[in-house]
Amino acid sequence: MKLTKDEYKALEDIVGPEYITQEPVIMESYNQLWGNKLAFGDKRHNPPSAILLPANVEEIQAIVRYCNKTGILFKASARAFEYVATHMGRERCILLELKRMNRILEIDEKNMHAVVEPFVTVYQLMDAANKVGFYVGKPGVGYSAAVISLECCHQGMTVSQLYTSSYGRGVLGCEWVLPTGEILNLGTAGREGGWFSGDGPGFSLRGILRGRAGANGGHGVITKCAVKIYPWYAGAPTQCELKRPPGEALSAAYLEKVPDNYRVNILTFPTTEKMMKAATEIGQAELACIVAPAYIKTGFNEEGNDEEWAKIKSGKQGDPSKVVRSVQVFVNGHSARELEYREKAVMTVMEKWEGYLDPEYNDPEIKAKMFMYQTWSTGVPGMRATGDFMVSFQGADGATEMQLKFRPIEYEAFRPFINRGDMISPDVGMSYRPMEHFSLGCSGGIATGYDPWDPTSLAAAREYLDLIYDVNGPFRRFSYTNRGAMMQVEDIEHIHQRWGPVYDHADVWLQKVKKMLDPNNVADSTSYIPEKYSGEAGRTETK
Amino acid sequence: MSWKDFEHDMQRCCRCSYCKYIPWRFIKDFDFMEGCPSAARYNWHAYAAGGKFNIAYSLLHEKIEVDETLLDIVYKCMMDGSCDIACKMQNDLEPLQHMQELRIKLVDDGHLVPQHQPFIRSLRNEDNMMLKPRSERGGWAAGLDVKRVTKEKTEVLYHAGCRYSYDKELWPIAQAGVTLLQQAGVDVGIMGEDESCCGGRAYELGYDGELTKFAEHQAEAFKTAGVKVLVTPCSDCYGTYKVLYDKIGKKLGIEVYHITQYLEKLIQEGKLQLKKSLPLKVTYHDPCHLGRLGEPWIHWNGKEYKPPGVQIWLHDPPKKYRRGTNGVYDTPRNIIKSIPGLGFVEMYRTREYAWCCGAGGGVIDTYPDFAKWTGAERLREARAVGAEAIVSACPWCKRNFLDAAKQTGDKIEVLDIIELVQKSI
Repeated sequence: MKLTKDEYKALEDIVGPEYITQEPVIMESYNQLWGNKLAFGDKRHNPPSAILLPANVEEIQAIVRYCNKTGILFKASARAFEYVATHMGRERCILLELKRMNRILEIDEKNMHAVVEPFVTVYQLMDAANKVGFYVGKPGVGYSAAVISLECCHQGMTVSQLYTSSYGRGVLGCEWVLPTGEILNLGTAGREGGWFSGDGPGFSLRGILRGRAGANGGHGVITKCAVKIYPWYAGAPTQCELKRPPGEALSAAYLEKVPDNYRVNILTFPTTEKMMKAATEIGQAELACIVAPAYIKTGFNEEGNDEEWAKIKSGKQGDPSKVVRSVQVFVNGHSARELEYREKAVMTVMEKWEGYLDPEYNDPEIKAKMFMYQTWSTGVPGMRATGDFMVSFQGADGATEMQLKFRPIEYEAFRPFINRGDMISPDVGMSYRPMEHFSLGCSGGIATGYDPWDPTSLAAAREYLDLIYDVNGPFRRFSYTNRGAMMQVEDIEHIHQRWGPVYDHADVWLQKVKKMLDPNNVADSTSYIPEKYSGEAGRTETK
Repeated sequence: MSWKDFEHDMQRCCRCSYCKYIPWRFIKDFDFMEGCPSAARYNWHAYAAGGKFNIAYSLLHEKIEVDETLLDIVYKCMMDGSCDIACKMQNDLEPLQHMQELRIKLVDDGHLVPQHQPFIRSLRNEDNMMLKPRSERGGWAAGLDVKRVTKEKTEVLYHAGCRYSYDKELWPIAQAGVTLLQQAGVDVGIMGEDESCCGGRAYELGYDGELTKFAEHQAEAFKTAGVKVLVTPCSDCYGTYKVLYDKIGKKLGIEVYHITQYLEKLIQEGKLQLKKSLPLKVTYHDPCHLGRLGEPWIHWNGKEYKPPGVQIWLHDPPKKYRRGTNGVYDTPRNIIKSIPGLGFVEMYRTREYAWCCGAGGGVIDTYPDFAKWTGAERLREARAVGAEAIVSACPWCKRNFLDAAKQTGDKIEVLDIIELVQKSI
């Protein structure tokens, strides 16, 4: 549905004629996202009425206020490489693409944070931070994800979260345009105290801002955000020369060796239990910056699917039983002495739990490759295999509990789908990466690939999703809390009805939050709480 | 293939936006991370290759119709293939071939861009894309003592191409190319007024019939003249003769060289000696049609399939993708580096992921402002790495860089590699 001439003119006056369009052809390039087939049954979802490219917070405020006046629905989007990122719940809606807000405003080395605008990518910030000795963490979704999207609006996980925590835990001061058009500055930013804290003396509303997996545009626009950064002891990836065998494709380029201030070891143990015991001790003692249990293969790495398949058929994929008994451990240090001490301590823990360095995994070239992939350099080649996969998840439960207790459940639940040939997954099931030195939850990643254009495979993906979100199903409480971004795919009303009663009536509270923040209901709530929520009437009883 | 045959690619495009940038792993400076000039210059996702997949999908399913906006999006694109390289780092879709087929479909359906028509008429009536009479084609060689292959057989045919034949400012370079070959003792000839356009630019605009027509014409003309070896100083012509003719099944039965390849051979054989020192710091700009698009065509006639019981898309027979790997990259660099006294510095975007000069895909004629903006961006990059001169190996690059420099007042020197070699002899 197009805007009226007056509506268009009013919005055009705010951003200027070059930065607004409602050309139908252009709209069609904003309504076709990853996961749409699973979420909506079609590649396309309804296009927005218009797209605007605001340049600053003042323009965003003016747009939002106009939406409140006219009832036009709005949603902000940065890179849009995410499920339902540009979907809006009703017609007569505008999308704010934030590409003109693309600056790293500050890197505060002393207080270890960076202040960014919404279109800044993780890779962009990582490069800038690396150059002054800091690090942000590589997101699962790859280079092109935006920092603020990961921190404030979506699920956000990273391999290095043992050390850096996951995205969403790194939010400090924030500039937030509420759905009413008012600006709310969180934390120290609310009292002109700089950006270093999200928890006061101003308002501390990070839980509301972000919630479990992000509101995905459901309550306003984050126009500026301070995020934590962490020590980094190597050069920036942009300064790194990659080697490429003559005649090989660009994707074959690799790092020649692990940087001097890092050590990579892959420890293998007699059992998964012992591996997790050792990993926990290493993590809790803060010896390592990356601990990745059962995570040897880093996705689809060969040049193309045909090459990947040839490798699978050749049996060179490695022994799955050994993979689940192995853990990648990266240590870093600001001096040779510290590095030596840390590595020696890791080896002591390894020996205690009867571990060893398997030569198959500990080749220097493989280690360098792992370093590159884990710290800064994967995209999402898994997409290539089938056309889509279900995204990663994280939860409050510990990596050990998840690895030992939950993984077998999920593995068994998923096995029939693989056996039927409807979906694919690595032989070893999930890998659960610990957060914050094993003090808080974990996140996991599994390439549960399905083909959205194969009706059988798509139906299987939906069946599996339904199984995951079954309150009385095999995953029990693990499902809701651990599924992060997948919550955006399942019908949001259905999720709240199922899980609200289990989690302290969270659905009721979300409704109250929504009404308070967005009284005129103009911020899109596709991934938050439906504007017309049937509430308790449709709830599922827990057995 | 037809544009509709790319529906699976349209479906699988996941909006990762890799097509907009050079492969992330190779970004050296975020000020020069953009790979696609269209996506960089114009505001909307529609202008990126991913957006064009979306638009085509909606067109295929009759959700939109062809209108002026669609034509604007499809044709404000240099067809330079940067998106193709980046996409094949991750997703293995075929954005460039898809865009080519989309252009062909638009022309077939009669959705013509008015600005293209004089050029197409010129091609059909005068065998060139420069809006000039055929009779003037050999003017660049006036005064040169060079054989006409139509009159006497020579070892090598020097094919100047439309730009060199009609752009008077560039004539000295075209002439220098012949002179260098002669100085090295090569028995070289030209076709002069009998030379024709290769048809490549028209093909990129969507006029595939013109490519077929000119491929057949050239084959006949070369056969009649007894041509065995063709050398061209134009990267567009090189790409057409070497790659596009092969793509459409009209491969020429002769050896085709870009002049850099031939000059390198002559230098290695000691027939050309680069002795004179040139105290200049230069950078090299990879022309798209010599670099990533100069990679030989890889024929693949097979089908996509999934093996029984496994969800993974494979090809029977296995498909080797064109990833730009085997374009002509080292040859011009080897020549530059062999010139005494010359300093060489790489730009941030090089080889497979080089930024386009701005002239390709018909943009120089249809949207000159966009072409010049793109060229100016490259000049800015050349200056950012400290180069005093930007060297290319294609008359289209040279023309567009000169125009861009004139418009922006950029003082950087714009050279063709032929000029460098000539100065060093």
